[in-house]
Amino acid sequence: MASNHLTGVGSESKQLATWYFTFAAIIFGAQLVFGVVAAIQYVMPGFLFEIVDFSVARMIHINALVVWMVFAMFGAVYWLLPDETGIETVGIKIGKLLFWVFAAAIVVVVLVYLLVQVGPATESTIWLIHEGREYIEAPRWADFGIVVVALGFVFNLFATGMKGKQTGIITVLMADMLAFAGLYLAGMFFTDNISVDQFWWWWVIHLWVEATWEVYVGSLAAYGLITMIGAHRKTVEMWLWIEVAMLFGSGILGLGHHYFWIGTPEYWWEIGALFSALEPLPLVAMFIHVLYDWGKTQGAETEKGNPASVIKNKPAFTWFVLNAFGNFLGAGIWGFFHTLPQVNLYTHGTQFTSAHGHLAFFGAYATILIGMMYLAVQGTNGIKVLKSTKSSLAATWMITGGVMGMGIALTIAGYVQVLVSRAQMGATWAGYFDGQSGMWFSQAMDWRLFMGVITLIGFVFLAKDLLSIGKATHHER
Amino acid sequence: MLAPINESVMITEIALDDFLPIFISSSLVLVFGAVYAIVFTFVKVGALKPWLMPFGYLGWVLTAYCLYLMGSLMHVGEFTQKALIVTMIGYLFLPHAIYYMVDKVHQENEH
Repeated sequence: MASNHLTGVGSESKQLATWYFTFAAIIFGAQLVFGVVAAIQYVMPGFLFEIVDFSVARMIHINALVVWMVFAMFGAVYWLLPDETGIETVGIKIGKLLFWVFAAAIVVVVLVYLLVQVGPATESTIWLIHEGREYIEAPRWADFGIVVVALGFVFNLFATGMKGKQTGIITVLMADMLAFAGLYLAGMFFTDNISVDQFWWWWVIHLWVEATWEVYVGSLAAYGLITMIGAHRKTVEMWLWIEVAMLFGSGILGLGHHYFWIGTPEYWWEIGALFSALEPLPLVAMFIHVLYDWGKTQGAETEKGNPASVIKNKPAFTWFVLNAFGNFLGAGIWGFFHTLPQVNLYTHGTQFTSAHGHLAFFGAYATILIGMMYLAVQGTNGIKVLKSTKSSLAATWMITGGVMGMGIALTIAGYVQVLVSRAQMGATWAGYFDGQSGMWFSQAMDWRLFMGVITLIGFVFLAKDLLSIGKATHHER
Repeated sequence: MLAPINESVMITEIALDDFLPIFISSSLVLVFGAVYAIVFTFVKVGALKPWLMPFGYLGWVLTAYCLYLMGSLMHVGEFTQKALIVTMIGYLFLPHAIYYMVDKVHQENEH
């Protein structure tokens, strides 16, 4: 049955979305726990030694990051499909079956990471334990499972999009999710040349996070602005097309900034420099987009003599605004810091990269996906205007402050590495250790741990809020 | 010290004292760039007074200066220099172009 975001009850697609969001939230929690374990190991290297070594904790931390975001992304699409197309998702039973297949596969993969950890470095390791490619380390059997799940998801999206109403948001999502799923194939085959392997691996990671995922975020922002503040669809969708053009225009060849030092031809320096310099522009455009629609819609209502806020879901809108700001800050500023080859020669592989990774993944993706979870809470509880609670505010401040704090601490650590390990000691083995043993680096790692714990506490508030905010009595129903 | 790379893109090594100004100026490129975009948009939608518009353009001037400073300290090659100049000129017009398109669509829907 057709539905809208305020009446999610009764839609099987929206029910499936809540399953995806729930599993995503659990994996999000696991990501933070193993992040804190890895952060402790920087401060106390013997912590969980030979039980959960740093390599294992880090692997789970960054793979869980990707997995929870993919789950939340699938969930968000299942949530908005009935609203956008005006019909129930086609093939929803397949979608539900594939959810359980996907979730079960992830549980098995994580258990293998934890209990088996390493293999004999033969072909069987790639098939059964993990592939050793950062962020997408799932063993090959799981790769094939993920492909099947992704195909089912793309089928649901395309079949529904073609049968129902084809809005601009759905059209963009159909093209984008096909590319999103297809790019995963580039990370599935094995080559015995590390440069060739990295060349293709970056197709998955870069073209996900700086092209297809950003376009996906643009689509979600468009949907959010329409549902939360009543922004005009035609305006919002025109923005979306501009963003798509800008994101793909700069993001695809921005891939060059990952090809500076992996053995690829040197013309990538200039291609990477040029298109990387352009990459912040769409993020500025997305920022203006949110401000424009918010300002115009609120202004129009005020002119009509209705000064009340136009925002129908305060916590979700807060996370959407944080997304516009965080995307610009984490992906834009922290990316631009070290994107030109002249300076990337010194910063590459230092904690600068880690700082950028933390701020960009959080700012560009975690924020808007958390916002979508709040939209789902509003819909499943039939709330007209969802207002924040103390837990919403605590979660927002602690998670945002914690990630910002980690980003700053890691930036300081990275700066020490740039000066000591790279500029002074020339990227030597001794330089690597000298850089890590200095006071500034050590203290930065202490602060990173502290801020990581703050983030984890913030997550506890978030989980509590998502489970309880729908029952609060101060909302407009 | 890192071994010199004799390519057109990487002309000179970065001096030790220049790293901090490079990181700060590259951050400020985007901060001032955002100030320009935000002030311009807010003045246009009526959320800020029109007399504040020059501060928006001041943001663009500071963006251009910070980008020049960053590029100089990094010793960027000739191609990158040209790319950065074109980017800055393009950025001066970008908020105008985006606002024009959005506003036209808005008007079409209101009238």
